[in-house]
Amino acid sequence: MPKQKKIKRKPGVCVPWDEKKKELPKILGDEKVVQKVWEDIDTLGYIYIWQCLLSF
Amino acid sequence: MAKDIEQLYQERLARYVTAMRNEKPDMIPIRPFVAEFTAKYAGYTCQEVTHDYEKAFAAVRKCAADFDWDAVVGNMVYVWTGLTQAIGMKYYAVPGVDISPDVGFQYLEPPPEKAFMKPDEYDQLIEDPTGFLFNAWLPRVSTEVSAMGEQTSYRNNLSFLKGGMAMLNYFNAFGKQNELLRTESGTVSAISGILKAPFDIIADKLRGYLGLVADVMEQPKKVLAACEALMPHLTYTALCGADPEKKVPITIWMHRGCVPFFSMEHFNKFYWPTLKPIIKEIWAQGHQVLFYAEGNWNAHLKSFAELPDKSIIFHVDQSDIFEVHRELGDKFCISGGIPNWLLATGTPTEVRDYCKKVIDGVAGDGGYIMDASAIVQNDAKIENIKAMTEFTREYGQY
Repeated sequence: MPKQKKIKRKPGVCVPWDEKKKELPKILGDEKVVQKVWEDIDTLGYIYIWQCLLSF
Repeated sequence: MAKDIEQLYQERLARYVTAMRNEKPDMIPIRPFVAEFTAKYAGYTCQEVTHDYEKAFAAVRKCAADFDWDAVVGNMVYVWTGLTQAIGMKYYAVPGVDISPDVGFQYLEPPPEKAFMKPDEYDQLIEDPTGFLFNAWLPRVSTEVSAMGEQTSYRNNLSFLKGGMAMLNYFNAFGKQNELLRTESGTVSAISGILKAPFDIIADKLRGYLGLVADVMEQPKKVLAACEALMPHLTYTALCGADPEKKVPITIWMHRGCVPFFSMEHFNKFYWPTLKPIIKEIWAQGHQVLFYAEGNWNAHLKSFAELPDKSIIFHVDQSDIFEVHRELGDKFCISGGIPNWLLATGTPTEVRDYCKKVIDGVAGDGGYIMDASAIVQNDAKIENIKAMTEFTREYGQY
């Protein structure tokens, strides 16, 4: 794969966790759980738009 | 599940997979990509199977139960227009709404001046493909979605909710459909996952064919950069839908990247350098890709031969299947090659004769899957599909 100079949004990502995390208060519990769930659901948004383009 | 049905499924799966790995199974597998034909056979209109996917699924299962096919696609009338209507997609002619209920759905390509991506927007696409799709492309292809900066609306908000839920509903339904195909008739689900070449998708859904023809002459560097920017996303999306067991292939639907739609120079400059690495990456992860090579790709067979052995299955539409076999037969499985015009206008005898010619020419050492040249629509005669199936079973034993 050719390397792009700058990938603004990586494959599978609509709103990166690092960006979302800045909006949240300090996470008192397990940050990894919050990150994983955020990223899993975020990927559904990504799949939605790319499937719209490719399949429909 | 009845043991004999499961045994039949396992035999068909082994037959299909063996052929796809370019090896010799017990007999030639039959894997017709039947679309609106299923409606004709099951007694539905094109409108019914396009707009009501449960009817489309039922029609496929009826065909799978009645024909001795090894593998089928759970719904080859893939575009469920209930979903596209919820999103408000503009580029379809829907059976029973825009066109006759007995005509398959149509893609509508806008004139160049109304293309869904403007010629000066390549930089936006290159910088952030996902953002461009959400912010620029979707509002243009949808009757419901508001453009960035425009006032939002009830219909805008609703389209994302309905579209997202409908897509999830539809994709999840394939799991049940595939299981029913297995348990009711022992039929294998033929493919899993979707891929398109970066160059093709720019023509298909962004700039349009005529727009891209102009762009390759006027701004070739931007076109190449855009293809490169799309590559990781198309790879990711293909792998997201791939068969976790790595048995059935991801399908690439190849449209207008070949000569004479574009020149050999353009193929070599744009199409192939940005597709080949995707195929190699997918193969490195253990998945084959079915090249559904719509049109005639004979001019490009030497390029395809550069790919790793067994990494693809090459489906023949209007390519010369005997030349395909000479060029690629040592490396890849071949499928298709039975002309759709023959299935629509010929006689069962003519169909049998053509199947014999293809089997004799390309299937002797295995590595061949029987199928029509292109997706089978409702113009195909039922007796001709029966002839193709029955002859292959009789004559296609190894």
